[in-house]
Amino acid sequence: DSRIQYERVGADVTMKCGSMDWDAAVTWTANGTDIDDSHLNGSYLILKNVDLTRSGQYSCYEGSSWHLKYQTYLKVGVPPKEPVLMCRSNNYPKGFYCSWHLPSPTYIPNSFNISVIHGTREMVCEKDIFPKNRCHIRYLQLFSTVKYKVTLTVTNALGKNSTTLTFDEFAIVKPDPPESVVAKPVPNNPRRLEVAWQNPSSWPDPESFPLKFFLRYRPLILDQWQHVELSDGTSHTITDAYAGKEYIIQVAAKDNDIGTWSDWSVAVHATPWTEEPKHLTTEVQITETTSTSTSSFMPPPTTKICDKGAG
Amino acid sequence: LGAGQSIQKTYDLTRYLEHQLRTLAGTYLNYLGPPFNEPDFTPPRLARAERVPGATVDLELWRGLTDNARLAANYRAYSRLLCYLRALDGQAGTAELRHRLGHFCSSLQGLVLSIAGVMSSLGYPLPAGPTAAPGSPGAANDFLKKMDEFWLLKELQTWLWRSAKDFNRLKKKVPPAVVTLRLEARGF
Repeated sequence: DSRIQYERVGADVTMKCGSMDWDAAVTWTANGTDIDDSHLNGSYLILKNVDLTRSGQYSCYEGSSWHLKYQTYLKVGVPPKEPVLMCRSNNYPKGFYCSWHLPSPTYIPNSFNISVIHGTREMVCEKDIFPKNRCHIRYLQLFSTVKYKVTLTVTNALGKNSTTLTFDEFAIVKPDPPESVVAKPVPNNPRRLEVAWQNPSSWPDPESFPLKFFLRYRPLILDQWQHVELSDGTSHTITDAYAGKEYIIQVAAKDNDIGTWSDWSVAVHATPWTEEPKHLTTEVQITETTSTSTSSFMPPPTTKICDKGAG
Repeated sequence: LGAGQSIQKTYDLTRYLEHQLRTLAGTYLNYLGPPFNEPDFTPPRLARAERVPGATVDLELWRGLTDNARLAANYRAYSRLLCYLRALDGQAGTAELRHRLGHFCSSLQGLVLSIAGVMSSLGYPLPAGPTAAPGSPGAANDFLKKMDEFWLLKELQTWLWRSAKDFNRLKKKVPPAVVTLRLEARGF
C-alpha cells in the first residue's frame, strides 16, 4: 500500500520499520539511496528538523533477506495560511464570481471549500473548470438589501484556515475593461484623434445596465494624462491633441449608477493627421538641381517662385 | 414636458437623491452610533422593518415588468418611504440632521411627483389604494427603533439604485422624441 506521510517543515520524524523489532538489522533507503547509520536508532529512522528536500520515498528492508518491510512517501510541507479571497460582479446583473489563492505555497495538496450565504439562504457556487480556484454564483434576486457572506476554507493534511467576505450586491460590481479599442487620425485635422471601443463582452445587458466610460490620453513625450468622462456612446473625438505627436490612449468602464471602475483597457497608439510635405516641381527646384551652388532655403510654397524679388 | 424628457428628469433626480443619501445616511448612522455605523454590521430584520417596501425583486420578474407596473412600483414605494422618513425627520436629535432630513424629504417628494408626471405623460393612472405608510405602534425600545431606522435608510438606498435601472430601461423605450421634433423645426 502506497502510504503517504505528511510532516511539517522543521518537525522531527521517526519511522518504524513496519513490524520489525527495535534491535532488528535493517537497511533504510531514501529514493533508492541508502541512508547512513547516523540517522538510525536501532531499526528506527530518525529525521531531525526536516525541510522540503526531505520529501521522497523511504523504504526499509530486512537486513539479511532484503525483504521490503516498510515503505512510505514522505511529503514535507506547511499548513495553509489565511487564503486571499476576492468576489466581483463583472457580468451584473447575472451574478458574481469569487476567486482565491494562497499567499504562500504549502508544498502539499490543499482542498478548498466555499460557502455563500445570502440572508438565510445558502447559494450554490458553481466551480469553473478553468481557472480551478474560481466559482460563480447566479443572482436569483436583484436589488437586495441583505449582504452576501462568502466563507472560503482551505484544508490540507497539516492544518486548516479560512477567510470570510461580507458585501452588498452593488459594492462588487466592476465591469471588465472595454474591448476593441481603436484610435485613428482624422484626415485634414492635425489636432484630432477618433477613438472607438466596445462594451466588454462579459457585460450582458448594456441596455438596462448602461456603462459609462473614462478615457485617458497623453502624448508619449509627456507623463501627464488628460481625462474625459463619457456617459453615452462608445466613441469620442479628441480635439486637443498636439499636432504630429504620437499618443497613447486607454479606456475604463463603470456601471452608470453603481460599483467601481474597471481596470484600464489595453493601450492603443495613434498620431494625429499631418500634412504631407509638398514635392516642389516648380522652376526653382529644376534650376537648383542643375546649378552648382547649393541653397538650403526652400521658399515657402505660397511665394511666386519666378518672382526675382523672392529671396 | 414629453414623456422622454420627464423620464430623463426623473432619472437625474434619482441619481441626485442617491448621491445625497450616501452622505446623509453616513451622518445618520453615526448619529445612531455603534454598532449601526460599523461597515459590516447587519442587524436582524424584524417584522416591523419588513413593512418598509422592499426593493428586492426576482431578476426575471423585474425584467418582465410592464412600464406601467414598473412605474407604479416606484410610485408606491417612494410614497411610503417618504412617510417613514418624515417620521424620522421629526425626531432626529440634532438640528443639523433635522435640517438635512427635511431637505431630503422635500427632494424625495419631488421624486414622487416626478414619477407621477411620467405616469400621466404615458397615460397611466396613479396606483389606487393607500400609498401612505400604515400606522404602527412605536418600537418597544430604543435599540429596536434604531434597527428600524437602519433598515429604512438601507431600503431607501437600494430603491434609488433600482430606480436608476428602472428609468434607464424606460429611457431606452421612450426616447426624448419631443426634443428631436423641436430641433428639426429650427432647421438643425
